[in-house]
Amino acid sequence: MSLTAENVSLVFGDGGEQVRALDGVSIDLAAGQLMAVLGPSGAGKSSLLAVCGALQSPSAGTIRVGDIDITAANRGELTRIRREKIGFVFQQSNLMASLSALDQLLLLVHMRGRRPGKADRDRAEKLLDEVGMSHRLRHRPGELSGGERQRVGIARAFMMNPELLLVDEPTSMLDQQRGRQIVELLVRECHEYNVATMMVTHDQNVLDCADRVVDISDGRLSERTTA
Amino acid sequence: MFIAIRDLKFAKGRFFLMGFVVTLVAFLVITLSGLSAGLVKANISGLMALPVTHVAFEDTDHPGYRNTMIERYMWEGWAAQEGVEAMEPLGHTVFNARTDDGEPLEIALWGLVDDSFIAPVVNRGVTYGGDIDNGVVISRGLQDDGVDIGDLIFLDRVLTELRVVGVTDEYRNIGHLPIIYAPLAKWQEATYGPPGGPPPGEKLPDIVFDFVSVIALRLAEGTDVEALDDELETTTLDRRGFYAASTGYESEVQSVQMIQSLLFVISAVVIGAFFSIWTIQRTKEIGLIKALGASNAYVLKDALGQALALIATGTLIGYLGTLWFNALVKDTELPFMLEGKTIMVSIVMLLIAGIVGAALSIRRVSAIDPIIALGRDQ
Repeated sequence: MSLTAENVSLVFGDGGEQVRALDGVSIDLAAGQLMAVLGPSGAGKSSLLAVCGALQSPSAGTIRVGDIDITAANRGELTRIRREKIGFVFQQSNLMASLSALDQLLLLVHMRGRRPGKADRDRAEKLLDEVGMSHRLRHRPGELSGGERQRVGIARAFMMNPELLLVDEPTSMLDQQRGRQIVELLVRECHEYNVATMMVTHDQNVLDCADRVVDISDGRLSERTTA
Repeated sequence: MFIAIRDLKFAKGRFFLMGFVVTLVAFLVITLSGLSAGLVKANISGLMALPVTHVAFEDTDHPGYRNTMIERYMWEGWAAQEGVEAMEPLGHTVFNARTDDGEPLEIALWGLVDDSFIAPVVNRGVTYGGDIDNGVVISRGLQDDGVDIGDLIFLDRVLTELRVVGVTDEYRNIGHLPIIYAPLAKWQEATYGPPGGPPPGEKLPDIVFDFVSVIALRLAEGTDVEALDDELETTTLDRRGFYAASTGYESEVQSVQMIQSLLFVISAVVIGAFFSIWTIQRTKEIGLIKALGASNAYVLKDALGQALALIATGTLIGYLGTLWFNALVKDTELPFMLEGKTIMVSIVMLLIAGIVGAALSIRRVSAIDPIIALGRDQ
């Protein structure tokens, strides 16, 4: 399994003011599988992404990305795990304002301590081509539409061959048609690169694209038998 | 510097403005260094040119060139001591004077022995103490004021007449006054003799020639100056001390140094404030790259590299501006002198101040939580 979570809880506050954002969550997600996590605001979707993405440590339980137990890792190790094992697609694409579409991808290479070379450029250009952005390589985020920014974000997520891809509400800023195109693109890339993908969403219209769907409510997960 | 360079290109206007501020501060700091060195030179260039290690004054708590009187036994006493490699009595008196055209002058008259080891290098004419008993060498500054070889200078009150026979190669001042180098006997006559000199056919009493102002000393390393001072009733100062004994020197240098120090503080605060705001504005982006796996060291290195590039470029342009200013004022009366060492000190201090200011602001990137990339508050 690329992602395994066992009985994970995340509790905020203490004493009588405690909020259980996640309550005994368990997940098994295989490589090349896209799992949609559906739930309303406040259900615990972002908390699930945060703990699975090594951005936050759970209060209890264990999470493994590949063969690494990220709940046993220290802060520095979590940073390295995010850099080497996990790809993110954020809600509002979250691109760096000063970087061109191509540089958004090459930045990840540089963050690994390497000066981006020709092979890196070729790969970045190929990924951007796959998401239909080959004609906008040199454009900065301010020169791109919302859908284009989201496509660049998806290409970036695949740049370093992640083992796990975490996607946060990819359609929230897009109209229905473009939102669906983006999710279809995600599914295609996830299958092509054999990456375990967890996509949190509240958009019912894209659930048919997912390989699996789980509902989240009050921090608890329940799997749907059919998507 | 992957992000830093692209940020610099992207936010050109913002960084240009900040770079301009750094340039102005650098220009001010280096120019003030030049003014400081120029002021020092204008004040004490005569002292700076002395090939001595110490100057002995009359024993006092506040030695100064205007309130010291050395008697013969003192300089003869110094001459007999071990460790004294060279020694000469030196007379110093400030006079109001006039040229033969009636132009008023304020000058410092120095009396030196013949063939003195502290005599100035003469650029034009001959040195004092030749065939003409009132022949004097003037500082180049007086030549700039229109006094030339062959001219007469009359000292007010004492009515002593001096004839210019030579001009120094450089400006030679003390207390901002140009120095006139005269034979020691002529100086003693002007300082201690009756107005107009001795009556015709008479000589001045010998006692007039038993006094000078200070003793110029070149001492071997390790000479016990304090013990000799106690024995010879003098107060002997090293180079730094005998510079400071010149009127106004300390206060001038301190004033300029205080302004320089304030400029360093201001540059640190301004640069710090800029990068503080810049970091706050970039909080979301920093959270994003940390979420993508950038370490604190990576983000800090990038941000500090950006600050250093900005400060170094601003400082370099400021320095070039100062060179231009130097060329502009080179032949004017403005006391301005650029010295490699003071420029380097100013530049290094400015870089340190800027980097410290930037570093204090930028260090907050370590506290930014990558979870904000998910749209959550820290």
